Amino acid sequence: MIEIGHFLAFLTLTLSVLIAIVGLRGDRALTGQLSIAAFVVMTVSFLTIVQAFMRSDFSVELVTNNSHTLKPMLYKFAGTWGNHEGSMALWCLVMAGFGAAGAVWLKSDRPVFEARTLGVQGLLGTGALAYLLFASSPYTRLETPPLQGSDLNPLLQDPALAAHPPMLYLGYVGYSFVFALAAAALIEGRVDRQWARIVRPWALGAFVPLTLGIALGSYWAYYELGWGGWWFWDPVENASLMPWLIGAAFMHSVTVTEKRGSLRSWTVLLAVAAFCFSILGAFLVRSGLLTSVHAFAVDPLRGSLLLTGLLIYGSFALGLFAWRAPSLKGGPDHYLASREGALIGNNLALGVATLTVLLGTLFPLIAEAFGQVMSVGEPYFNLTFTPIMAIALIALPIVQAWSWGRADWGNVWKWVAAFVGVVAFFWIIGVGVFDIPLLAGVGFAIGIWLIYGAGFEIWRRAKTGARLFKMPARIWGMTLAHAGLGVLTLGAVGETSLRQHSTLALEQGQSAQVADWTITLDRVAPIEGPNWYADRANLIAQRGNTRVELEPEKRIYPAARMPTTETAIHSTGTADLYVALGDKRIVDGTPRWTFEVFVKPLVDLIYLGALLIGLGAAMAMIGRRRKTAE
Amino acid sequence: MKVAILAAVLAVMQSGTTLSDPAEERRAQMLMREIRCVACENEPVSQSASDIAGDMREQIREMVAEGQTNSEIRAWFVDRYGEFVLFRPKADNPWGWMLWALPFAVLGVAGAGIVMMRNSRDLSERTVDAVPPDHEDGNTN
Repeated sequence: MIEIGHFLAFLTLTLSVLIAIVGLRGDRALTGQLSIAAFVVMTVSFLTIVQAFMRSDFSVELVTNNSHTLKPMLYKFAGTWGNHEGSMALWCLVMAGFGAAGAVWLKSDRPVFEARTLGVQGLLGTGALAYLLFASSPYTRLETPPLQGSDLNPLLQDPALAAHPPMLYLGYVGYSFVFALAAAALIEGRVDRQWARIVRPWALGAFVPLTLGIALGSYWAYYELGWGGWWFWDPVENASLMPWLIGAAFMHSVTVTEKRGSLRSWTVLLAVAAFCFSILGAFLVRSGLLTSVHAFAVDPLRGSLLLTGLLIYGSFALGLFAWRAPSLKGGPDHYLASREGALIGNNLALGVATLTVLLGTLFPLIAEAFGQVMSVGEPYFNLTFTPIMAIALIALPIVQAWSWGRADWGNVWKWVAAFVGVVAFFWIIGVGVFDIPLLAGVGFAIGIWLIYGAGFEIWRRAKTGARLFKMPARIWGMTLAHAGLGVLTLGAVGETSLRQHSTLALEQGQSAQVADWTITLDRVAPIEGPNWYADRANLIAQRGNTRVELEPEKRIYPAARMPTTETAIHSTGTADLYVALGDKRIVDGTPRWTFEVFVKPLVDLIYLGALLIGLGAAMAMIGRRRKTAE
Repeated sequence: MKVAILAAVLAVMQSGTTLSDPAEERRAQMLMREIRCVACENEPVSQSASDIAGDMREQIREMVAEGQTNSEIRAWFVDRYGEFVLFRPKADNPWGWMLWALPFAVLGVAGAGIVMMRNSRDLSERTVDAVPPDHEDGNTN
């Protein structure tokens, strides 16, 4: 079977080359058919890999290295993309999928432009497939298949992480299509309002899964790693955050191009940059360059190939851009204090934030090349990225009501006074019942400010309650996304500044106090799962009349010889009580178990906020769709 | 000094594994998020299950309980393990300056550039029409 898949992948590669040639020559109908064919063929090819995993066919090298017969079916299935080769196959599949989607849904009066878009997508697909087939083939057979596989990394055997890579790839690769639309527009030298209208839903279509993918990854890290953290500023996370920030900047600048016809060269540059950052992310993650310099040396081929691809596509696009940019001027004039100015400010903040993440991620490498050893982590980003974003978030509700061209900003001082008032409110209640540090007070104020600002803006536009529900989906989408940003801010600030953490060492029957919870260890007993065994603790947490049982586990996956923590989380709505089981220690002859116990206020708001942002972007996309269909 | 250390060790023992003074514990936890585990790939000691990270956490708590300042504690770890151990790189050398200043420098220069470009255009000759966003949206949606 896998040989058929291998053959079909080669067929997809051939089709991609054809799509590139026919598409760039401008034959819309044929390119469309070829794109759909390439997607169908790649789907079948991918399914042969899935089937090898589901059937635990250990004659396939990839399955041997990443699967096990005892693994639950879900993880056999999801294990397909839980490794380098399989995830690259998924990447190729999604890429072909966007080509096919473009073939079906691109319906403008510019067939040559559409054909060229699909052609560029074919060009990108050619690179991805060549990389898959020649540098990371999942189709390799073993001469002597073993009886058992060596299992998927147990940390990845988790429902959130099964769904995380496909989501993330839909986002990353979604920007490949935005890139293709930009490159085709540059080839034609026609970046105009119509182009902006065409590209916008695709950019949103990439942004939604990218948002949800990042949120899933963060949620997984929160409950699976056992340290209660939800964002670690790890290079792998930063790699996904950078295209997200650029994507967010693009969403805003493309609005200016769509409504006013200005900012065209900047918008098209961002369209190109989003996908370049996606490839850069893949390069950083896949080359192993960042977690360890030595891993890069182990397999320099993959890393350097990805880097080469990035350089080729990047310089191709930048070359096109340099050629066409001088002709991309225009649009009506505007003052600095205008809607255009506000959105330029948004792009400035998001652009600098992206560069900050890039700098913090790559700086240790650059410094090391010059013999300087250093680490960059959470404290750095908290002191650079966070204030830059905070300024932008404070400005958001103030400037979002500004008019195009020239804004009446005589009332800015009222807004500023209102914000200062909200900060003062949190500072005053902070010295009272709630123990809120000063900076956290500003953070909470920003969260409330954003939610209030989103509500204020839609009310300002609707003017009456009856019209509120007739507002276009696009406006509701914007409102939800901005409010979601506020909700996320509240969660992030609450978790960061008010969390409480204790390390407990408990004997059976012993109790301890964490925040206002009394936690009693009932017992620790061994249990067994399909492909793991574990110690499971039974804890009773009491607060007032509330009594909950918490059962954190420490699992061992014998096939992979790896322990994992399964945390127990009790959500009260306003806070999570979070318990992870640690080691067993013998103290004075009696066994004691250590527990990491966290009380995490408002942590759920982080995920609720991310969901709202995704939902808002999805509404904005659907709103567009309906409009273009009319 | 010895008495202080003994008291500190006792303080650590008494409370199990957490410092009894919440303010000190908070300071210790802040430092744990800044100090990098020397055996792990890319984790602060606050988030690592390795034995050495556990020892480093204990070390931080002891030093906090002894009343050492944050910079003294950081310096102690740098002496042992080098600059590598700090997730908050120091800004006392050109590399550090560059790292810390660049984001704000880019923000300032790019912001000033945008403002200057805008102001150098002579807008007073023509009147720019103010188009409210809702009006525009009303037309296109």
